[in-house]
Amino acid sequence: MENITKKIRAVAKQALIDKEVDKILGWKKGDLWSDSYPVFITKPEDTDTLIWDLFCINNLSKFLIKELTKHDKIGIFIKGCDSTSFNQLLKDNRINRDDVVLYGIPCEGMVDPEKVKKIMLNERVREIKKHENNFTLISKNKNIDVSGEEIKYDKCITCISPNPVVYDQLLSDEVENSKHSGDRFKRIEEIEAMSPDQRYNFWKGEFQRCIRCNACRDICPACSCVKCVFDNEDAEVSGKAKTEGEDTFFHLVRAYHVAGRCVDCGECARVCPAGIPLDLLNRKIIKDINEVYGEFNAGMDSTTPAPLVTFKLEDTDTFSKKGGK
Amino acid sequence: MKKILKTKLPELWQKISTDFDLFLPIEKNKTLNFSLWKDGEKVNLDKVRTTTSSKHLVFPQTETYLKFKNQNNKLSLKAVKAIGDEYVIFGVRPCDVKSFKLLDNIFLREPVDTYYREHRDRGTIISLACTNPEDTCFCSSFGIDASSAPLGADVAAWDVGDSYIWKPQSEKGQKLMDSTKELFTDIDEKDIQNLEKEKSNIQEKLEDLPFNNIDLSKIKGTQQEIFDKEEIWNEFSERCLACGTCSYLCPTCHCYDLQDYKGNNHGEKFRCWDSCMSSDFTLMAHGNPRTTQMQRLRQRFMHKLVYYPKNHKGDYSCVGCGRCVDRCPVHIDIVKIIKKLGGENNEL
Repeated sequence: MENITKKIRAVAKQALIDKEVDKILGWKKGDLWSDSYPVFITKPEDTDTLIWDLFCINNLSKFLIKELTKHDKIGIFIKGCDSTSFNQLLKDNRINRDDVVLYGIPCEGMVDPEKVKKIMLNERVREIKKHENNFTLISKNKNIDVSGEEIKYDKCITCISPNPVVYDQLLSDEVENSKHSGDRFKRIEEIEAMSPDQRYNFWKGEFQRCIRCNACRDICPACSCVKCVFDNEDAEVSGKAKTEGEDTFFHLVRAYHVAGRCVDCGECARVCPAGIPLDLLNRKIIKDINEVYGEFNAGMDSTTPAPLVTFKLEDTDTFSKKGGK
Repeated sequence: MKKILKTKLPELWQKISTDFDLFLPIEKNKTLNFSLWKDGEKVNLDKVRTTTSSKHLVFPQTETYLKFKNQNNKLSLKAVKAIGDEYVIFGVRPCDVKSFKLLDNIFLREPVDTYYREHRDRGTIISLACTNPEDTCFCSSFGIDASSAPLGADVAAWDVGDSYIWKPQSEKGQKLMDSTKELFTDIDEKDIQNLEKEKSNIQEKLEDLPFNNIDLSKIKGTQQEIFDKEEIWNEFSERCLACGTCSYLCPTCHCYDLQDYKGNNHGEKFRCWDSCMSSDFTLMAHGNPRTTQMQRLRQRFMHKLVYYPKNHKGDYSCVGCGRCVDRCPVHIDIVKIIKKLGGENNEL
C-alpha cells in the first residue's frame, strides 16, 4: 500500500505541475487509525498528504458533479466501485469524460472499523497491519491476527469489480476477483424465501430505525438529481416527520429511482447510522433485473442502455405475483 | 451509596418497569440505542456510546401538538398532550447527562416549552461512569468528568466489576432507590476502595485518549472574525454531503421545523427535528438567507462554538460525545474544526 501511496503522490504532483488537471480528488489521513477521508487538492505541494490505505472507502466519483462546475479538468483516484459509479454518472449525463483524468487503483477490499471494534471492543485499536491476506489488529496491550473476511466490509467481501473498469492510468497490477463474489445474492435469497408477511415485517423493522438523515441519498452516486424530490418543499413530500409510512415511502421511492442505475457500491449501507441494510434493497432489484432482462451490472461501461429504459418485445412481465400486506 | 450485584439486574429491570417505562441501551441490528426495555432484550452496558443520543426522550424526533378538523365548514382544534409515561433511563453517560442541561437552557427559558418540560419532568436519569471511553471521546475538553457523578443525574452509578454502585443525587433518585431497596446492599470499606480505583482507572484512560487535549481556548477572534474565515469553512464544506447525520446523532442539536399533515378535512400540526444541513433550513417566506452548503456548515459550528457560548455563560453546545466524529460519512467533525479554527492542522 505504501508503494501505491508513493505513486499517488507522484502522479498527483506531476499532473498539477504540468497543469494536466487543476484539481485532484484523493484521500488523506486524519488523526485516528480509521480516519481516511476525501481531500481536494489544487496545489502541487499539498499532494504529499495523499494516502492509500485500508480505509479509503469513500467513493470520490460523486464529488465530480459539484467540482466540475468549478474546475475545467479534475484528476481523480478510483477503485473498482468508484469506477462503475463514474461510468454511471457519464451515462446519466452528469459529467463529461473529457473533463476528468482517471487514475485507477485495483482494490483488495477495505476494512470496516465497526467490525474491528467488535473484535476489540474497549481495547482501543491503534493500528491495523496487513500481511498477504491476513491482518493484525494492534492495541496498546495486545495483538490479534484476523482474516480479511473477519474485518472487511461485507460489500468488499462479495465485490464483483475490484479492478477499475475505466481509467486512463492504472497505478498497480490488477487483483483477482474475491472468491466470494458469487455470494452476492445469498442474503437476498434468504429474504426471498420468507413469506410475504415475514418480508414485510423484516423491512418494517429495518425502516423504523431510520432517522431520516438522508446520508444514504447524499452519498449515493446514482442519486444525482439537481434537486431531490424529498428536498422540494413545493412537492409536499419532503417529509421530515419520523413516521413509519414516510420512512418506508422514502426508501422505496429511492430504491426504485436508482433501479438499473445502482452500481452496488454499498455506500448507502455503510453510512447509515441506523444500520439499515439498504444495499440489500438495491441488490434485490439488481437480482430481479438480472432474472427478468438478462444479466446487467450498472456502470460496467458508459454506453450499454440500461434494461429499465429500453423496451424489447420479448421482455417478460412478472408483475402478476402477489405481494405482502 | 448502595450497591447491586450485576446478577440482580434482570430483577431490577423487572421491578422498575412495573412502575415506569424503562429505557436502557439495547442492541439491535448493528445499533445500540436507548430503547424501551422488555424482557429478553439485549442490554449492552459495556459499550460507552449509544448510536443516537438520549435526547429523543425529552425531544422526540417528531411530535404532534395540534390536531385540526373541518366539519361542515367549522374548524375545530384540539391540542395534543405530550405523549409518554413516567420513565427511568439507566446508563446515560456523563456527556449525555450534560446535554440535558444544555437543552434545558433552550427549552426551559421563557417562554417555556411545555412539551419539553413534561418529558423532562417525567424522567429519572441514572448516569453511568465511562469504564471504557472510546478513541473518539473528548468530553474533558468541555469540563465533563467521565469518571464522576454528573450534575443533573438523579442517581449516579459506577461499574465496579461484579456490581454497580448507585449514589442518589435527588429526591427522585432517592425515591427510586427506596422502592427497589431489597435488591441493594450497603457498601463497605472495600467497595469504597473499588469505587476510587474505578474512578482513577477511568481518569487514566481518559488521559490516554487521542483527543484528550482539544483546546478550545485556542479559537481566537471575535464572532465576526471567526465567521469571516471563509477559506476554512469552504475547505470543509467542499466535501460535506449535506446529510443530517451529525445533527441528528448530536445530543445537543435542537433545531426543529414546524409542519402540517394535511388530509382532506383534517390534519395535524407537528414539529420534527431539523438540521442546518438541509437545503430548506431557515427557508422563510422571503427566501433562504443561507443558500450554500458553506453557509449551512458554518452555521452548525458557529452555533456550537460561538453563538451558544455567547448566550449561555460560555457553555459550548457540544459535550464531546464523539458521535459526529464516529459517524460522519466523510469525516468532517467538530474536533477537526476546533483544531483548524485554533490554528492547528494547517492543511486539512
